Amino acid sequence: MALQEALEPFLAAYASHNPMPVARFLDPIPPPQDPGRLYDFWRASSEDKILADVRYALQNGMPNRTSFDEVQGWVDIIACYWRAVDRILKAEQAQNQSKLSEKQMVDVYDAWKDLTSNFIKYISNGNLPHWTVFTLYFTANNLRKFAIKADEQLAKAKPVAFSAGFQDDIVDTNAKNEKLEEAARVFNRIYALCVGDRNPDMMSSRKWGVYCIANLQFKTYFKLKAISLSKNVVKSIDAQSDLPPFELYPASHRVTYKYYVGVLSFLQEDYAKAEAALMEAWNTCHAQSVRNKELILTYLVPCRLITQHNIPSAQLLNEYPHVRRLFGDLVSSIRKGDLSGFDKALAAGEPEFVRRRVFLTLERSRDIALRNLLRKVYLAEGYEDMKAGQTEKDRVRKSRIPISHFAAAFRMGTAGAGSGQAIDDDEVECLLANMIYKGLMKGYISRDHGIVVVNKKGAFPGTGV
Amino acid sequence: MSFPTSTVAWSQSPLQPPAFTAVPARTTLARPPPAPAEPTPPAKPQKVEWPPAVRDYVGRAFEEQNAIKGVSREDMTKKLKDVIGFYAERSQLDSLDWANYPLPQEILRDERAAARAQLGLDALMTSPNGIANMHVDTPHSKKRKSQDGDQLPLRAAEASIPPWRRTNLESRITYSGGPTEKRQKKNTIGDTFSKSDQADLDKRRQRFKNGKANQNPTPPWSSPRRDNDSEMSTAPCVGTNQNLEKSYFRLTAPPNPETVRPQHVLEKTLSLLTKKWREEKKYGYICNQFKSLRQDLTVQHIKNAFTVKVYEIHARIALETGDLGEYNQCQTQLKALYSQKLGGNPAEFTAYRILYFVYTCNKTDMNDLLAELTAADKTLPWIKHALDVRSSLALGNYHKFFKLYLAAENMGSYLMDMFIERERLHALANISRAYMTVALRFLTDELSFDNDDACREFLETHGAQHIIEEKADEQGRRTVRVKVKEAAGIFEGQRQAAFSKVDIKGQI
Repeated sequence: MALQEALEPFLAAYASHNPMPVARFLDPIPPPQDPGRLYDFWRASSEDKILADVRYALQNGMPNRTSFDEVQGWVDIIACYWRAVDRILKAEQAQNQSKLSEKQMVDVYDAWKDLTSNFIKYISNGNLPHWTVFTLYFTANNLRKFAIKADEQLAKAKPVAFSAGFQDDIVDTNAKNEKLEEAARVFNRIYALCVGDRNPDMMSSRKWGVYCIANLQFKTYFKLKAISLSKNVVKSIDAQSDLPPFELYPASHRVTYKYYVGVLSFLQEDYAKAEAALMEAWNTCHAQSVRNKELILTYLVPCRLITQHNIPSAQLLNEYPHVRRLFGDLVSSIRKGDLSGFDKALAAGEPEFVRRRVFLTLERSRDIALRNLLRKVYLAEGYEDMKAGQTEKDRVRKSRIPISHFAAAFRMGTAGAGSGQAIDDDEVECLLANMIYKGLMKGYISRDHGIVVVNKKGAFPGTGV
Repeated sequence: MSFPTSTVAWSQSPLQPPAFTAVPARTTLARPPPAPAEPTPPAKPQKVEWPPAVRDYVGRAFEEQNAIKGVSREDMTKKLKDVIGFYAERSQLDSLDWANYPLPQEILRDERAAARAQLGLDALMTSPNGIANMHVDTPHSKKRKSQDGDQLPLRAAEASIPPWRRTNLESRITYSGGPTEKRQKKNTIGDTFSKSDQADLDKRRQRFKNGKANQNPTPPWSSPRRDNDSEMSTAPCVGTNQNLEKSYFRLTAPPNPETVRPQHVLEKTLSLLTKKWREEKKYGYICNQFKSLRQDLTVQHIKNAFTVKVYEIHARIALETGDLGEYNQCQTQLKALYSQKLGGNPAEFTAYRILYFVYTCNKTDMNDLLAELTAADKTLPWIKHALDVRSSLALGNYHKFFKLYLAAENMGSYLMDMFIERERLHALANISRAYMTVALRFLTDELSFDNDDACREFLETHGAQHIIEEKADEQGRRTVRVKVKEAAGIFEGQRQAAFSKVDIKGQI
């Protein structure tokens, strides 16, 4: 197959003025229906002929009105792509012989970075049409994947680096994600490319790429565990005055962006803001994308536990089995006021919760379980004796409850003496004091009399008693 | 300003002797401030009788027919001074064959040609300023043109011997060894200038210092600053120093093995330092010594159980004195060292990390740390203690927290001391909302004060003296009651203030 023939899909994709088909042409993974695509493309040329071959094919194949500079841009980009394919195939071959070296993965990454950089260059020169910025997004996303793979290989090759130069300390503290960090800087450039477009015609502005590139940056920063860097992106976007209206962006950009903004606020413990952003993502999310909805719920559920002391309904959990698996036991323990059940569920889910960074937030919902338990004690105390003129309807609940009653409830819930969970009376008081301090219970403790005096009205705000 | 290209080449050579020996050579490059109109060698301030050969040479240099296109007269004069100055300084004016020595303009031409060939495409080299920045940092080298002549060949000289060198010139130079040979001698590590040279240069340097007061005497450790780290030798060195004590100095050049102590000496150092710490408790001294100890380990690439021990001990001492900066440096290193399974006490230091994140309220790092812990880790006593501290605070269980405070082991109590006051305020804010009045003794017990007086003092220093009242109970015993409710606002305000400022110096 001659290169000319191999470039026909590109010419067709280009003619459609649609970023997706062009991105598909520049895909580093062959489509399932044509597994030999990369190999065929590679075989159509060679390292020393590729530039000339592509130039020849494009000069003849691209529409006549295409500017010289644009043709030149595509020639470079496709030649870079060919070189990247060359490295990819070599790495694949090495992997099949199980002698993949870190060098080869780095080669793939470098070649792909070259492709991305060329793409950026020609877009920022204004040689390529504005819609190619979305094609660039796909290229950049692949760069992210290659960077991660290259870092993995590098980490395997040399687990701990010696410090170079004249450091005072023995171990090099430089990060291990060298390539992904480098890729992050490339993404910064793309972001700047989008946000800095001064084209007054909004229809052909690169500003439409702002959110999808921001999302790419978020993904990268989360992977790099440099989450705080994401805040800068959010700040930068908030500071833009001339972006197109948010609701006009594609839903996919909006949902992901709001999701990340929500998660970021969640991690900064700004739960009110997190809830608002996550709700927006939830409401915009495509009904069929269960996976995304579950991701949103992973943060929205803990968030609502804190902000509204709300637990998800059984119906919602049934709709999303993953979420039920994650939070089901916890939620039912909270509902029942079952402290040891809560502790067990929390401990069982800890690895997963920690991985998703919700553990420290979920832990705080133990207060709700505790509140529910204390409320049960309160209800079990019953009513004051009826006074003259009172009816069944306006009977007053007992408001002076011995601390020992609460203590008994705690001890029923926990494993009892000798289990290491035994709880003494002072600790019971401490937990009661916490409830009062946090506003989950109204009243005060009278230590001298060993009782809790609860408010006659609204002893447990928001629970109907 | 420097004539024989090799002089400068020394300071460019990657295999340079340790930093301080290079300094004299460097200072030599600085032109003597009173630039003489006549080519008077600065080394001989007294009246000089120029040998006829030299005078002849100077005469030829200025002859019209010897002028070379592209070499300005100014440049040539400068070079001429340098050439004669160089040999005059070494008292070799008489021994040189001046009749066959290339004229300054010829030297310049050849140097430039060689430089062009060498540097070719190097973009940096096209800018004379770029070169100046790279090689020259003396305040005297302001003249662009003079740099053209002087600086360009620096690198070239290393690679290719200029044509005039290829004559049998070297054999006619009578001092021992030509410049080339001399340079090679310099390159061998540890071998420095010959004694007389060194003395001469020292004298010269002294003179220049006197002559120019505002000239910064460059400290020996910072002189050969290079732009490129990779040029520096980072290969492990093997120390030979036998002193137990050594002050810390930040390295900017490869260390001299003579100043580095080998491991068996360092082991003695460590036991000396721990003994001194126990007896004298002078942290400034101890910290300095530990830093030099760590540096010696690093430059020799010693990474074993002993390394771990050094860092652990330094970290503990830093905790004891509350030096969180050093502590964090050690902790970072230890984390990496433990990952290599070199022994030590990973559980102890993991526990410290947990407590430290409790102190800094760093949720992100705490989450990452929890993610690292295995189920087995969590059952280890010290780690479990630290985790319990964390969860008790997360749940507001101050009763449990203050019990754990009393049960802290190792250096854990030093770490907990850093946030105990904050947590006491937190607990007081809590109690003051939930109780009307409590006995002082209750607060003393709940907040783990040593005695009632300490508790009372704490309340008083936090502006709550007015809520303490003494009265006799029914049996006539005096008790002290605290009307906590009245100070709820005070405690809450102080709690918030205490949590808002967390000093995290040195944290990486």
